[in-house]
Amino acid sequence: MNTPAPAEAIGVTVAHVSKRFTHAVKGEVHAARDVSLDVAPGEFLTLLGPSGCGKTTTLRMIAGFEMPDEGSIAFGGHDVTRLPANQRGIGFVFQNYALFPHLSVFDNVAYGLAVRGESGSEIGRAVGDVLALVGLAGYERQFPAQMSGGEQQRVALARAIVIHPRVLLFDEPLSNLDARLRVQMRDEIRALQKRLAITAIYVTHDQEEAMAVSDRIAVMNRGSIAEIGTAETLYHSPRSRFVAEFIGRANLVAAQVIAVRDGYVDVAALDRQLAIPRQGSALAAGTRCLLLLRPEAIVLGEPDATSGTLAGTVRTRTFLGEKIEYTIACAGVTLQVVRHSQGVTDAFAPGAAVGVQIARGAGTLVADASQGDSP
Amino acid sequence: MVVSAAARPGFGARWRAEPAFAVALTLLWLLLAFFILYPIVALVARVFIDQGQFTSATIVKVLTDRNQVAAFRNSLLLGTLVGVGGTVLGFGFAFAATRCRLPPTVVRLIDIAVLLPLVSPPFTTAIGYIFSFGARGLITYDLLGIRNVSVYGLTSTMTAETLTYFPIAYLTLRPMLAAIDSNIEGMALSLGASRWRVFRTVTLPLCTPGLANAFLLLFAASLADFATPLILAGNQFPVLPTQAYLQITGLFDLSGGAALSLVLLMPAFVVFIAQRFWVGRRFYVTVTGKGAGQAPFDSVSPIARVLLVAACVAVTLFIVYLYALLVYASLVRAFGANDTLTLEHYRAVFTEGLRVLFDTLIIAAFATPLGGLYGVVMGYLITRRRFVGRTAMEIVSMIHYALPGTIVGIAYLIAFNDPPIVLTGTAVILVACYVFRYGPTGIRTTMALLQQVDPSLEEASHSLGAGTGTTFRRITLPLVLPAFFAALGVMFIRSMTAISATIFLVSISWTLVTVRILENMTELRLGMAAAFSVIVVIIVFIVIGAIGQVLRLLRTPGSKPATGLLAA
Repeated sequence: MNTPAPAEAIGVTVAHVSKRFTHAVKGEVHAARDVSLDVAPGEFLTLLGPSGCGKTTTLRMIAGFEMPDEGSIAFGGHDVTRLPANQRGIGFVFQNYALFPHLSVFDNVAYGLAVRGESGSEIGRAVGDVLALVGLAGYERQFPAQMSGGEQQRVALARAIVIHPRVLLFDEPLSNLDARLRVQMRDEIRALQKRLAITAIYVTHDQEEAMAVSDRIAVMNRGSIAEIGTAETLYHSPRSRFVAEFIGRANLVAAQVIAVRDGYVDVAALDRQLAIPRQGSALAAGTRCLLLLRPEAIVLGEPDATSGTLAGTVRTRTFLGEKIEYTIACAGVTLQVVRHSQGVTDAFAPGAAVGVQIARGAGTLVADASQGDSP
Repeated sequence: MVVSAAARPGFGARWRAEPAFAVALTLLWLLLAFFILYPIVALVARVFIDQGQFTSATIVKVLTDRNQVAAFRNSLLLGTLVGVGGTVLGFGFAFAATRCRLPPTVVRLIDIAVLLPLVSPPFTTAIGYIFSFGARGLITYDLLGIRNVSVYGLTSTMTAETLTYFPIAYLTLRPMLAAIDSNIEGMALSLGASRWRVFRTVTLPLCTPGLANAFLLLFAASLADFATPLILAGNQFPVLPTQAYLQITGLFDLSGGAALSLVLLMPAFVVFIAQRFWVGRRFYVTVTGKGAGQAPFDSVSPIARVLLVAACVAVTLFIVYLYALLVYASLVRAFGANDTLTLEHYRAVFTEGLRVLFDTLIIAAFATPLGGLYGVVMGYLITRRRFVGRTAMEIVSMIHYALPGTIVGIAYLIAFNDPPIVLTGTAVILVACYVFRYGPTGIRTTMALLQQVDPSLEEASHSLGAGTGTTFRRITLPLVLPAFFAALGVMFIRSMTAISATIFLVSISWTLVTVRILENMTELRLGMAAAFSVIVVIIVFIVIGAIGQVLRLLRTPGSKPATGLLAA
């Protein structure tokens, strides 16, 4: 199978870009404010955030569908801020696929090649190759309306990559598919992007999808980038309450810094003094902050009066196959706890008393929302 | 009749299960047979049967008459020109409104100006055209100083009809253009196509069915238009509807007029078939949830935008200018001769014209609710109920809507003129004509609305224990209420403004404003004709405004606005 020859991967730089819209009801809306991104050549970067956070607007500005009010966008070091979409050399995959309903699969995929004035035989060969690549060989004469959602998605993908785009852009490409297909397609997209070594920017509101496909994730909130990092970094040591809560499930417990030691910060939380691994800039003693505990960082055991163990009561227990989820009332707060079900024969039924421990080395201190959230 | 035989199977069981449904169905079939099928049969019989014998003499006489053949050719030529011109104009306006990022107020102003011809009596543009380009016209006589100008003929008829009917194309094409997912055009652009190429290879092909549909609608409208040619075509450019009218009112030759109207039926029938079986199945555009709401990117180059908007504004201003002339003519003693301001024409309207005005309003007052009810009930039955003969019922109900008014008028005249059933000269014949001719717009709106409503809503009601009646009253009726009010709007506008069918049906006892305006035109009482027209437009605008307000109140928060009020 012939893969489209990888174009030389280029980086994408978004510098201090802002965009305002006039909304009929809300008046002027800041869809994006001072957004800056640096996407490395061949990197897969995801813009993740809730609806209305500005991720799609940012992507559309990178594509050239919208012009930024301020700031600049560069592809491979060349400024493209004012370049219309048809001169940027991008491949775009829309949420609703945006297939041309009046054209066959072949003509849909051939469109971009025909625009570039390629010869008929060249187009035929390239379209055949790319359809084979996405697993749609033999579908040439079909029309979009005759195809399933997953097949339409593949056509959209084939149409975007057949022109050897310098940058591949995805706007929530999987959200119209059912759950199983979504997982399959995201793996295929990821594999294809790696194989073609194209710089890709991907927009989604699904944090699991973002973690599955991306090299790095940029979490956006209210028009701004809250944080950029790998999935691991964002999950284990987010810097803001928003990111902590948006990626994964989070127990956020009020905490106050007592002392900063070598490698550890002593905080008062959950009626105890806890030693939390020190990350990044240290918080001064006395600072009020939040202690982030992921559900799997809390260990349940038999009630135990020793100093390290907290007393808790099981509120709910949900069996989910490979794991069991609990909510535990402990020290005046409710904690979410996850345990693998393998080999577990616990009797932590609702109402039971449990001992609650924090796994060694777990926990991250996050600035309190009331002081440190994005503007 | 084939129809009633088809409706019979399964009837007994239905009757016992749902007596109300069975009664309604029977009643509707009787009405359809009596007011739609019977007149057409009577018309055909009149032409082909003479003293109990089949004869082709009447139709042969028409088809061999050089004048009538010329009229047939003229009608087709006029229809084609108006179809093309109006579609181009309508597409230009629709494209400007959906793609040029015009400020909402500008779009709104254009909308109102463009709607003027649609809600006015169909010859209002023609009258304005006379005031502008006629023998004493503002431009021809006063500005250019041309004497002995002849405004009559193909060019002026075509221009006036294009201006009158292009809003139909605008109203059908605009939602279509708006429904094209802007991402599809964006996609083509991102693949490297120029704006012009996107327009040529994506936007235009997606609109082709809509353009064909608009052309057919305009062709049919022009073919059926009777008033504009009567005023503007003159002796040199006879067309079929006017010929049929003159045959009947001038020569008292009812059979000849009927035969002429049958000739008109042929192209009208072709259009009807083409629309139903060809265009109707080729629509690509489906309204998708997202995308459509997204702000379109700049899909038009700045130069193209300026040119297009300028052209639209020019046409809009021309329409406004024609209507302004109409208002002016209604306010001066004698347009073109004596420009002294006067309210004399309005005084005449409200004294000697008052009865006509009341007649028209009374007929509208009956036709409007009846037509609205008929539309909603039929639309509901056709969309939501399964019964034998359903498709037949839908097709039959659309016949008078699709036929040129001249045919319907002559058919009614023939059918209800002689015993056993004499309705001519009564208000009933006028009301019936309006109900069955314009009620179908309500059927269409109801069907469109119900097709968007998931049947599971009604199933949910049933599952909660509600019977058919309760479900209809509590669930279906509130859902179709917007369609009902929209149908009321269309019924009222048409009852106030239509002329082509009802001109054959007016009498000493019951006459209509539109007919009176035409009489005024021929008597050269131009000021009074203008004053009457202004009054009609004002009444129609007030009623539309009120119904629009009702539709806004009915709109559930968050739902799409009820469209199609005037589109039909």
